[in-house]
Amino acid sequence: MGTTFIIAKREFRSNFDSTLAYVVICLGLILLGFVFFEFGGGFWQQDRASLVQIFAQAPRGLSFLIIPVVTMRLLAEEKRSGTLEMLITLPVKDHEVILGKFLGAWGLVLLLVASTLLYPLLMFWKPWDLGPLDMGPVYSGYLGLVLYSAAAVSIGLLISALAESQTVAFFITFVVLFALHMVGSVADKMPTPWLREAISFISFDTRLVPFAKGMINTRDIVYFASIAVGCLMAAFRALERRKWA
Amino acid sequence: MSTDVMIEANGLTKRYGAFRALDKVSFEVHRGEVVGFLGPNGAGKSTTMRILTCFISATGGTARVHGYDVFDDPLEVRKKIGYLPQRAPLYGEMSVWEYLSFVADMRGLETSTFKKRMKNIVEVCGLATSLGKDIRDLSHGYRQRVGLAQALVHDPPILILDEPTSDLDPNEKAEVIKYIQEIGKERTILLSTHNLSEVEQACARAIIVSKGRIVADGPLEEIRAKSGRVRYVVQVHEKRVFEGGPAKKAPSAEEVQAALEKLPGVTSVVELPTDDRAHSFQLAGAQDGDIRAEIFQLIVSKGWLLLEMRREAQKLEDVFKALTKNDERRDRGRPIVEDDEDEAEAAAEDEDEDEDESDEDESDEDESDEDEDEDESDEDDKKKKG
Repeated sequence: MGTTFIIAKREFRSNFDSTLAYVVICLGLILLGFVFFEFGGGFWQQDRASLVQIFAQAPRGLSFLIIPVVTMRLLAEEKRSGTLEMLITLPVKDHEVILGKFLGAWGLVLLLVASTLLYPLLMFWKPWDLGPLDMGPVYSGYLGLVLYSAAAVSIGLLISALAESQTVAFFITFVVLFALHMVGSVADKMPTPWLREAISFISFDTRLVPFAKGMINTRDIVYFASIAVGCLMAAFRALERRKWA
Repeated sequence: MSTDVMIEANGLTKRYGAFRALDKVSFEVHRGEVVGFLGPNGAGKSTTMRILTCFISATGGTARVHGYDVFDDPLEVRKKIGYLPQRAPLYGEMSVWEYLSFVADMRGLETSTFKKRMKNIVEVCGLATSLGKDIRDLSHGYRQRVGLAQALVHDPPILILDEPTSDLDPNEKAEVIKYIQEIGKERTILLSTHNLSEVEQACARAIIVSKGRIVADGPLEEIRAKSGRVRYVVQVHEKRVFEGGPAKKAPSAEEVQAALEKLPGVTSVVELPTDDRAHSFQLAGAQDGDIRAEIFQLIVSKGWLLLEMRREAQKLEDVFKALTKNDERRDRGRPIVEDDEDEAEAAAEDEDEDEDESDEDESDEDESDEDEDEDESDEDDKKKKG
């Protein structure tokens, strides 16, 4: 097993050593349930066998609550407590540390995303077979969630690599992700068309909508993937910076 | 390079902005040596160790560990090293066993090898009863043991320990030193500390750094002899005199001091604090001389009652203070970065002067030294953080 996966495994498991992770996961699922069935009329009023609510609301829940909490510790806390020195002086390359941390945190978020599978399974299969579900948008929706979470986690990791403490990392990550979600709704109010386009280009929400509808655009995939790769590379540089600072 | 050299630092320099943390530090550590790396806080001990373990890079100079360059082959270097950073930072949420097996996994150890080695490590480090405990619940002493254990997991030929005994209580300190002695039988160890008695117990050789420069490097005996002084402690009874002797009444402190000062070869006499039974003095003399006979004769001829007399070669602590203290004092109020050549020359000149100055400084300040040292270390801590 490569060192990357050993780090990822340790990172993933360390989430379950504190009650925080359990609280956050439970809270997230409860909130999702509430939003799914009650928010804006909810599932029953829509009168359609669709999971659009999940794909529309889950990314926000992840961004505003779960991802900042999961990623804040990754590097900021290790830097503060000095364990980073212990970790890096093991025979491991810097990029393996970054990648391992990323995979560990992403793994936890994917676990949460996977737990939302309960909705389609319970409602459209057993025990309550509410009718045939159009599977296309479900697959693409989940692909969107997976890609989105990779991008969001890597943003959190980068901020954690730059921040001095995990509290700071939490707030900055929260603000950045919040902005990336909300910026889309401002787009329409922009006076010039190029500004409108630019803003909707970087907005998470506008990128996620096609996935929820069953459309998979290469542009959207590239968008999320390049955010993830770019942030990971920047985080790698931030970690390397300790050598020269 | 001979294969015998395990750690080789060559002109290591590290700058943080304008602050020069290390200034052309060069030394060698040979196979099987246990070397004490000494210096006040902020002298550059940790910086040197971080460079050797490839955690940070030097601004200038080279270093090789086990023949591998720290810049070119960091992974090979790290494989050969067991490293315990300052204050043993460990993952608190993991249990001792989990943590050690994590380190073993990272080092690519087979599970069977790991288990076999753990038997020995658990015994050496005294961890048998705490393997299942979470690290955050352990006392600092035990954490330090876990830190040592993780450094030993892969049976490295070289150990680098950064202040392994700081923040420990005296019993724990003694134990950690005992482990180090135990471990050091077949390994090369570079051990940083500012506690000198530990160095005297565990190491045969010491490197003293101050303000990023090496001020002394050699066997402890040699370093001790460096300042070339020896001291005597003399205690004379305050109330009684030798019966049948020439003196009729007990001497006053001034009387004794004046008489002792007249002895040949005595450079200073300082009164030491005692109870009201005795006058106690500390005399400083030349390293090669021995004036015990003269002291005895003086006291007999005066008819005083001698309670104690002993001769001590200078303690490592005194040498340490002499070597590092003036350096720090001199450093205040001068620009931090100067031209290299100038500084080297100035340092060489100053060194000689300091030795002499420190003779007087030392004895005058003995009592206030404690407080001053603390202040200085506080200051240095702040500098470090800043």
